[in-house]
Amino acid sequence: MTSTLPAVTTPEVPAHRRPVSTARPTGRTAPSRLRSSRSDLLLCGVLLVAILVVQGWNIADYPTLSDDEGTYLAQAWAVQEGRGLAHYTYWYDHPPLGWIQIAVLTWIPSALSPESMTVGTMRAAMLVVSAVSAVLVYVLGRRLSLPRWAAGLGMVLFGLSPLSVVLQREIFLDNLAVMWTLLAFALAASPSRHLWHHFGAGIAAATAVLTKETMLFVLPAVLVTMWRHSHRDTRKFALTGAVTACALIGLSYPLFALLKGELLPGSGHVSLWDGITYQMTRPGSGFILDEGSGSWGVLQSWLYYDRVLIVGGLAGALLLLVTWRWSVTAHALAGPSAAVVVLALVALRPSGYLPAMYVIQALPFLALVLAGGTASVAHAVLRRRRAAGEPRPVTAGRYALAAVLAVAAGAYVVPRWYDGDRTAVTADANAPYQAASKWLAEEVEDPADTRVLVDDALWLDLVHAGYEPGRGVIWFYKADLDPAVTKTMPRGWKDLDYVVASPTVRRDAVDLPNVKAAIEHSEPVAVFGSGEDRIEIRQIQTSAGGVR
Amino acid sequence: MGIWGDLLLTSVFIAVVSLALFWMAAFTLWWQMHAWRTPEVLASTRFSRPDGDDHVSFSLLLPARHEQAVLDHTIQRLLESTHTDFEIIVIVGHDDPETTEVAERAAARDPRVRVVVDTHEKKNKPKAMNTALPHCRGDVVGVFDAEDQVHPELLAHVDHAFRTTGADVVQGGVQLINFHSSWYSLRNCLEYFFWFRSRLHLHAQKGFIPLGGNTVFVRTDVLREAGGWDPDCLAEDCDLGVRLSSVGKKVVVAYDSDMVTREETPGSLMSLLKQRTRWNQGFLQVYRKKDWRQLPTFGQRLLARYTLMTPFMQAFTGLVIPLNIAIAVFLDVPVGIAFITFLPAVTALVTFVFEIVGLHDFGRQYGLRVRFVHYLKLVVGGPFYQVLLAGAAVRAVWREQRGRNDWELTSHTGAHLDATGVTRDLREDVPA
Repeated sequence: MTSTLPAVTTPEVPAHRRPVSTARPTGRTAPSRLRSSRSDLLLCGVLLVAILVVQGWNIADYPTLSDDEGTYLAQAWAVQEGRGLAHYTYWYDHPPLGWIQIAVLTWIPSALSPESMTVGTMRAAMLVVSAVSAVLVYVLGRRLSLPRWAAGLGMVLFGLSPLSVVLQREIFLDNLAVMWTLLAFALAASPSRHLWHHFGAGIAAATAVLTKETMLFVLPAVLVTMWRHSHRDTRKFALTGAVTACALIGLSYPLFALLKGELLPGSGHVSLWDGITYQMTRPGSGFILDEGSGSWGVLQSWLYYDRVLIVGGLAGALLLLVTWRWSVTAHALAGPSAAVVVLALVALRPSGYLPAMYVIQALPFLALVLAGGTASVAHAVLRRRRAAGEPRPVTAGRYALAAVLAVAAGAYVVPRWYDGDRTAVTADANAPYQAASKWLAEEVEDPADTRVLVDDALWLDLVHAGYEPGRGVIWFYKADLDPAVTKTMPRGWKDLDYVVASPTVRRDAVDLPNVKAAIEHSEPVAVFGSGEDRIEIRQIQTSAGGVR
Repeated sequence: MGIWGDLLLTSVFIAVVSLALFWMAAFTLWWQMHAWRTPEVLASTRFSRPDGDDHVSFSLLLPARHEQAVLDHTIQRLLESTHTDFEIIVIVGHDDPETTEVAERAAARDPRVRVVVDTHEKKNKPKAMNTALPHCRGDVVGVFDAEDQVHPELLAHVDHAFRTTGADVVQGGVQLINFHSSWYSLRNCLEYFFWFRSRLHLHAQKGFIPLGGNTVFVRTDVLREAGGWDPDCLAEDCDLGVRLSSVGKKVVVAYDSDMVTREETPGSLMSLLKQRTRWNQGFLQVYRKKDWRQLPTFGQRLLARYTLMTPFMQAFTGLVIPLNIAIAVFLDVPVGIAFITFLPAVTALVTFVFEIVGLHDFGRQYGLRVRFVHYLKLVVGGPFYQVLLAGAAVRAVWREQRGRNDWELTSHTGAHLDATGVTRDLREDVPA
């Protein structure tokens, strides 16, 4: 038997190199091993079941299928089918890791039943992501020294806010990226302060960025968390290791482009450079606080679903910043607060492009910061300046005040969330899509020889119905934007049979000449739904007045 | 088939080689960073503070050969030790009157110093120490080299470690200090730093440890029972460690930056190459002696096998990584395969970065000023050092094949004279 010298067990360790500080913030339960804490497991488990029920119930029918979900799932399908990273030319719009993960997640169900590879059905796979993320929010809350109830509150805010329920149900890359970011945070705050945990945090952070590039903004917050949770003696190794891991994994993307000869622009091929240029020069959607701008509209759509998480989270971040100098919680939550602040500042750019999914990456941090702020207030009410011999009425007053605050908050939040979540588990927003899909599968005589423009959300349905992927069933904007597709339509709209005019298609057709012409030269043969949200199946009419 | 078959074969081949290299490099990195895994592990690698009680008596062996210039200083410094019960046994050759004279003078001045003369026709360090072993009166035999700078409180700490841990062997830290001398001494210093600061502790924990050449302390009865050092082995220190740990003796390692024995790197590139050749050849000999096979668990035997073969794998890795990447870039292999070929390079890069941080930590620990140019040297010198290591590995195999296992001393080949005017010897050998 051999062993290292157990110097750490002896009380006398040279003072200038205190091996490990054992002191924990006072008044907080030490985050011992969560796996072996029965109350933590129980609380987390119960909340997880609640979140999964609310998010999972009616997941296919609400919210409305989004074009982007169709894009990512179709690309995941292309990966599964061995058709490369996309069934059209992959043009470096986003790093491909996100839909590669979706492909892995949906691999088994789609192998068992290929028909199930459609947006509505495969939203179920997102439940796995939501579950992991929700648990990670709890773990992170505990690792950041939040009391059990506050960590649970954070998990509830993250998983049950109507805004979260709507967005986390959808097949968005952001949801996967959030999961990896939370993993990076949890590893950065690892109580064992293990070098390879920090290294793993770097890998997870890089994976998050390669899943959705906007996660770059959150990386400094991961670093802040790691700095706070590493030990002085091993910090430089831990931090350098994490940064190196993150950079090396991140560099694999340009390396991939380089190996394919697509790093720099050139004639006849796409390039990473062009992809980045496209993303950086997307037309801005205006200042978020400028009424009437696109960004303002996006903000309103978030607030429509839930004000509590957004306004409360921002207020929580502000509270923690203000109390930074004396609040233990403010120190402990420095990482999530930093994430909220950075994301808020980025959203406040006067002329940036603000996509609707942007808020997804902020959800866990808003939830944690709001929970932390609540814990801070609770601590101030119940414990601040509380002497040992405090008169009982004063103590009772403290508890009464706390109870009043809790009831008031509940009275405000619960009815609103109840309404929002009830809509989520009962509404059927996708009946028109399903009907359109059914019509095209049953009423068209020869799908294999029919060419139809659809939005991405319906694309996989039609592939399963027998249309030829890519050439027969066409993502509508490819008819104008992808030279490889345009080449197959030498006569423009005359080479098509149908166009499925969903809200997305009608909205974007303005800038797409071929799509616009196809709509103009077609007649609706079936209409599903009504008003703005209707879906029209339009058959192309050639000049002779007949169909092709 | 044809071209496709060839391409497939090439792809599979380089994928397999790359993955093997990746795992090798990853494990080496994992072990190299052992001490910094957690703050607790780092704290546990240090000596615990002695309680002021001296119970163990020491016999300190000091083999000296043509080292008259530094020997006296080393003896003086050893005599300044705070420990109360030790003797110094200076071992000199019968054909080396100058060193003998210095030793005799020191013995006349202080009764704690004794001189033993080694009369072997062909001399080497293990033979010299075996000659002195019967003369040892202490409970514990310690080994130092003639030019070592030993900390006065080291013996007290080692005494405490023996008593509190029940160890059979205590290995203290050895550190090359003169990182600023040349580009290779910089890397050589870092090798020692990572080895004694970190990796050796892992070996102690796993129960298989190649000991260092000095600042090593063994209970006298254990050493006698083991028959002393192997006089025919070129890495007698490593061999002793392997033999003792293989039969289950308890080895304890402790590293404290202010308690390490300070040494200097070999004075020239050639002497470094020879030193490394000897060490590699020694490892090969230890491997072939198969004492490690007595280790009880499969994992330990695997670690032994891997550690003793490391120099050769290192040489192999250094040559194959660039080749592999060249194949991936210039041959038209699938992108997935090309990615795999980059894995070993990624690990090498991570190792590189940790070396830079290690250099910073080394400077901090020893209060030495590490400048930007040193970091630059570290990075630029990396590939060249790799060539040196590969050269030493090839040379070792070649010499072992030809049956040449004499001690290749630089003093015979016209070596570099350092500031003190002494011919530096090849004895500070340490794996890295």
